[in-house]
Amino acid sequence: METPQESALHSVGEAVPRQGLPDKVRGAARYTADLKRPGMLYGKLLRSPHPHARIRAIDTSAAEQAPGVHAVLTYRDAPVARIDTDLAVLDSVVRFVGDEVAAVAAESAAAAEDALALIRVDYEPLPAVFEAEAALAPGAPAIHPGGNLLGGAPLVLQRGDVAAGFAQATRVFAGTFRTQVHGPVGMETRAALAEWDGDRVTVWKTSRAVHVPDRMTLARVLGLPPGNVRVICTNMGGGFGNKDEGRLASIVALLARKAGRPVRIEYGRSEEFIGGRNRQSTLNHLRIGVAADGAPTAIELRSVMNLGAFVSSGRNVVRRIGQGALYLYRCPNARYEGVSAYTNRPAGGSFRGLGAPLGHFALEVLIDQIAAALALDPLDYRLRFHVPPGGQPGQRSTPAGQLLPDEPVEGGVPFSSNGLRECLEAGAQAIGWRERRRPNGSATGARRRGIGLAIGLYKGGTGREAQAEVRIAPDGQVALSVGVVDVGQGSSTVLAQIAAEVLQVPAAQIAMTLADTARTPPGHITAGSSTTFSTGSAVKLAAESARNRLLEHAAAQLGVTDAVLAGGRFQPRGGGRSVSMAEVLAGLPEAVVGHASLTPGSTEHIVNSFGAHFVEVEVEPESGRIRIVRYVAAHDSGRIVNPRLAAGQVSGAVLQFLGITLREELLLDEASGVTLNPSFLEHKSTAIVDFPPIEVLFPAGPDPAGPFGAKALGEPPVVPVLAAVANAVANATGVWLHEVPFTPRRVLAALAAGAGRAGGRA
Amino acid sequence: MSARPAAPTTMAIRLRVNGKRHDLQVEPRATLLEVLRERLDLTGAKPACERGECGACTVLLDGRPVNACHLLAVQAAGHAVLTVEGLAARPDFQPLLDAFVACDAGQCGYCTPGFAVAAYAALRDAPQADAMAVRWALVGHICRCNAYDAIVGAVLQARERQPAKR
Repeated sequence: METPQESALHSVGEAVPRQGLPDKVRGAARYTADLKRPGMLYGKLLRSPHPHARIRAIDTSAAEQAPGVHAVLTYRDAPVARIDTDLAVLDSVVRFVGDEVAAVAAESAAAAEDALALIRVDYEPLPAVFEAEAALAPGAPAIHPGGNLLGGAPLVLQRGDVAAGFAQATRVFAGTFRTQVHGPVGMETRAALAEWDGDRVTVWKTSRAVHVPDRMTLARVLGLPPGNVRVICTNMGGGFGNKDEGRLASIVALLARKAGRPVRIEYGRSEEFIGGRNRQSTLNHLRIGVAADGAPTAIELRSVMNLGAFVSSGRNVVRRIGQGALYLYRCPNARYEGVSAYTNRPAGGSFRGLGAPLGHFALEVLIDQIAAALALDPLDYRLRFHVPPGGQPGQRSTPAGQLLPDEPVEGGVPFSSNGLRECLEAGAQAIGWRERRRPNGSATGARRRGIGLAIGLYKGGTGREAQAEVRIAPDGQVALSVGVVDVGQGSSTVLAQIAAEVLQVPAAQIAMTLADTARTPPGHITAGSSTTFSTGSAVKLAAESARNRLLEHAAAQLGVTDAVLAGGRFQPRGGGRSVSMAEVLAGLPEAVVGHASLTPGSTEHIVNSFGAHFVEVEVEPESGRIRIVRYVAAHDSGRIVNPRLAAGQVSGAVLQFLGITLREELLLDEASGVTLNPSFLEHKSTAIVDFPPIEVLFPAGPDPAGPFGAKALGEPPVVPVLAAVANAVANATGVWLHEVPFTPRRVLAALAAGAGRAGGRA
Repeated sequence: MSARPAAPTTMAIRLRVNGKRHDLQVEPRATLLEVLRERLDLTGAKPACERGECGACTVLLDGRPVNACHLLAVQAAGHAVLTVEGLAARPDFQPLLDAFVACDAGQCGYCTPGFAVAAYAALRDAPQADAMAVRWALVGHICRCNAYDAIVGAVLQARERQPAKR
């Protein structure tokens, strides 16, 4: 069947209103902590006051007898089956201040809270370690049986031969860059509600993946066949790559089983900051060798990441740190080494962009320093040396016919599309780079202005097995069922648009079912900005399958051999009398169903998204304060399925990361392991008066691999933010900041260190 | 081992919520937010910080926006409480609802009811508010999706469409 021509698209590309938004505004949309079940109890969690300790004894008798208490859960109740290799449901060893020790279910939240105070725990404190370097030193206390180095060895990814590349270089530049702990801080805290019916359990939870891992983890931990576990996420109050670990849901399910009544637990805000999963701090050592003309001959990045107490998604995070260094600039020789260390900090996990913004921070700042050292305009440098559409030099190593990775290392493979040039040109024009940017900033004195830029690339959302089911009832109702979670980014709207495009019906008419293991086919995790590309491809295929069945019926009705769908009506190929979908359906005894299951990707191309950010800042050298004056974000995410939602994603991502760039940092007292600022007052997220409106551009065209030409969008806009601001500050002051966040104290220290125009390039 | 605690005492209060009277026994420490959500099942006001730092639980108390997490239920006794559910039933909320949808002024939507309640009060008190005034009227609210620019756009759009007399 033919694909609609670009001019014929009627739903994809339209600013269709977000599904479910009216109910959200009215307060009618129910999130996990809004749900109640008959007889439901309220749970609370007891958390460790020690950064590292063994529980010698735990006495819950007083808590069990407290008014309104129905059950208390400790490690003694925990099953042998683990959530992850390093994570038990509850453990006799606690590994950070805030680690879960016990849970209480009671008639009210207050009664549960009161009972926590009655639990007596006898701890044997163990030596604790908080910094990755210290955790890796000989003699450091082992936080897990396998030692503190994750996997026993660094992750190494390489192309070509960096030693040879550095030998060829005429100059070698190096720099060390540090990033701190970032809290994702979804407004909705983690929550779970479990209700048993015999040996079957239903769990409502904050989730990014109800099928895998949530249902499979619960089934394993509870010792049930997966079919006995139903997981539902009604609405998610912010995902940002977070809320994927299974401990809370496991505890709630066990507590409900023990109490014999449904139980709900939601984290408080400080619990979310401490017991949630934050972005790991990193130390990044970067070296780049360049030829006389500035072309990189070797790029080498070594990163040390502080995992905290549990790895969670850390393996993916550390891999992504290297993505920019390995691929953003054309270079035959590149090497990345990622070291991940357990410490007694609160556990890290995944947060929008994973490691990519951290590695890009180092890369894009050092590239700016190289351009300055070679007296090249930073825009011209990037236009000249960024990875071209043809990809990296070298030999393809993925066997022919196999899907290519979208976190590539190998050379010799072209991109499906690469709009870096378009993004650079459009962004530069919007901010007036050629007219307004001066090599040493645009003002001197009390307030200095500067303009900077940074680019980035991010995986394209391929490689995740995806399924979708489209059901067209005889009454004309179109239902689309997918197992993924709309974490707030708007995937339900975008997926409805894709189905609506194929079926030529209004997107608003498509009834969406998501995130319920009993009512949807298996779906992948909402991660890696993959939903539009992966599930979107499945939705398109499922809708095409349903449409093709309708076309067969229509052809039979019309008495022709071949029918087409045009202008919302079914007609013989070549024209003639047409019939509506209602008329086709009227003759059918049952619903028309289209199902699709696929692993999207490309065997010929690497699918990546790209962006270029331009920012103008004002710096006060006296106070160290940085003000954002203008911000332009240009993105290649292929065809934009919904321009209003897409602009909101980019604007929101940039504003979120401007807070992280300038201010946000979770602080830990290394004497006690206590998190010092787990609240909105002391951990200031971006507020409504902090930054100017973000100017969003989508200058690139459709991608040949993605559904209707779409590529990944949710995470790419966070990737260049840190470096873009650092480079603008350097343009204003001559000093590149090497540690995020750029608080006034760090700015003043950097300015005072005299790492000015001469010394700033390490 | 500490002694088994006495059962907490409760107090009888009369709450007027969205025009409806409720006679309730509450613990003195129960917040208005807790009572609205867990006793009256009005879950439009959201818990997010539980210490008055983010605005997600905003309701109107005698017409003034307050953080329901930061007020004890006993303090609200005798006052008129209007939640987002109550506002949503009123015709003069419609322009704001329409504008929030038209401008996509919510992504995950968790903070959105709080913003909508505060925006309703802001427009009522300052019908001519400009963009900067709207921002400052909403400065106590956090949206982690950072839909701020769309929220400001929505409030300005609703301002243009609000009925002549509110």
